[in-house]
Amino acid sequence: MSGRDSGVAEVTDLAAVGIRRAGRPGIDFWTLLGTPAMLVVLVAFGVPLFMVVYKSATDPGLVNYTDVMGDPVFRKSLFKTIEIAVAATLAALLLGYPYAYVMARSGRWMRSFLLVALMVSFWTSLLIRTFAWQVLLQNTGVINTELKRLGLIDTPLPIIRNEFAALVGMTQMLAPFLILAVYALIRAIPPELEQAAMGMGARRSTMFRTVVLPLSMPGVAAGCVLVFVLALGFYITPQVLGGPSERMVGQSIAEAVHAFVRPGLACAMAVILLLLVGLVLAATARFMRLSDILKMGSMSE
Amino acid sequence: MNAGLFSRTIAVVVALLLAAPTIVIAATSFTSGVIITFPPKGFSMRWYEEIFGDRAWRDAFVTSFTTGILAAVIAMVIGTLLAFMAARGRLVPRSLVATLAMTPMIVPLVVAGIGFYMAYVHTSLYNHITSLALAHAMLGVPFCFLNVLAALTAVDPRVEEAASICGAGKLTVIATVTVPLVLPSAVAGGLFAFVTSWDEVVVATLLATPTLRTLPILFLSQLREGLEPSTSAAATVITLLTIVLLVIAGLLSRRQRGRST
Repeated sequence: MSGRDSGVAEVTDLAAVGIRRAGRPGIDFWTLLGTPAMLVVLVAFGVPLFMVVYKSATDPGLVNYTDVMGDPVFRKSLFKTIEIAVAATLAALLLGYPYAYVMARSGRWMRSFLLVALMVSFWTSLLIRTFAWQVLLQNTGVINTELKRLGLIDTPLPIIRNEFAALVGMTQMLAPFLILAVYALIRAIPPELEQAAMGMGARRSTMFRTVVLPLSMPGVAAGCVLVFVLALGFYITPQVLGGPSERMVGQSIAEAVHAFVRPGLACAMAVILLLLVGLVLAATARFMRLSDILKMGSMSE
Repeated sequence: MNAGLFSRTIAVVVALLLAAPTIVIAATSFTSGVIITFPPKGFSMRWYEEIFGDRAWRDAFVTSFTTGILAAVIAMVIGTLLAFMAARGRLVPRSLVATLAMTPMIVPLVVAGIGFYMAYVHTSLYNHITSLALAHAMLGVPFCFLNVLAALTAVDPRVEEAASICGAGKLTVIATVTVPLVLPSAVAGGLFAFVTSWDEVVVATLLATPTLRTLPILFLSQLREGLEPSTSAAATVITLLTIVLLVIAGLLSRRQRGRST
């Protein structure tokens, strides 16, 4: 661009700014409109959240935290929560990555098929899918009945009320988030890169390891963080599908609220869960923009 | 470059696992038997007749629908205003507005639920549909905010400037140019917010009372009592409405993107 052109551009830009300024009332119009909306969120969401934190420390006092952490049932549920969340994230990654890759790198029919399957599961609520897994897995359920009819088993397989069932359900619910996160990244890799690598004699596995995997890493990381954080808050699915030992923190919290003998105790548990989520996100924020992860979360619908 | 046979096989198996629950539920709802079997025995609409004739399901349907509409409208207004404030306001930093609008998405539902419960239990809002709608609206705000913000960043500012140059006043520009440009995205966000409320069970459990029960609450109590084909029928109805609304939301977003490029 010549100096003269940029000068013209500058003038039109200035004019545009001038018009924008002149078009606005003295006080910032959008701030004026947005402030009541901010206040509503602060009152309707900020205050309840603050009450949880406040009550956890004052009702009757910080003793809530020592009591909660001293409770072996809660400690166990805390570790179990982390364990199940890690396992579900790994399972979602192992099953979701190939899915995303095939969805990005196959013909129209295959892609449509995978996309429709993904959307069908996404659009069915978690509660309904929990119910569906119960129908599929229980002793008199679809899988056991069919296997018995085919004469493959005599007694029902133990595939419900245990960690296996809880993990199957949670993985099926969380994998779609990971698939979408990875898919977005793989779509952005030019297929020519893969062709070039293989054209120069790389085997498929070498090509995958040195080209596709590194380039899709940001999607893997974002997807894993999202899935892990979501898994930490799960409790109805593991409660219905899992056994008594698959007790998640969320369930402890919900039970403590319903009992409501000591509200402060439930609040302290909630703050601990919130801190756990906060820690994961804070650690993540050092490597990537959180807004990218949250955008993935909003694709859930 | 096509994916290898190994990964294609995994993908197809996973696709079946992803879709299986929904398909099984839809199929079992049409059974003519009294227990859930797959493949279903015969075909009948009796379980649909049963849930539509059942007062508890009907009441829960009305409660869920009303809550969802209220929550969607509130979330739409708040999310849109916050998006405008983040994109164009000059006083409050953009990141602060965005953080506030997105927080409801990060906080685990059970944590937010306790907060809502404690905040409402001693007020006159408790045991009233407004409490649930307001709580659900907060969960919907991030969807509306993100949708409208994306639309706003895609709007060419010169379009609005052109209107100003042609002599339109500030309010006329907003009403006739800006709002129509972002309206489809705001409505899409509102539909997401409706579906969030429609499917939500954790917060609803904490705010529910014997006289205030949404569909997911009733569903959960049925699920704990035992499985019946009527539960499948209810699940199918709930899912069908969700799919219809989300398809509309998807079309609205797509139309918006098509127009802005």
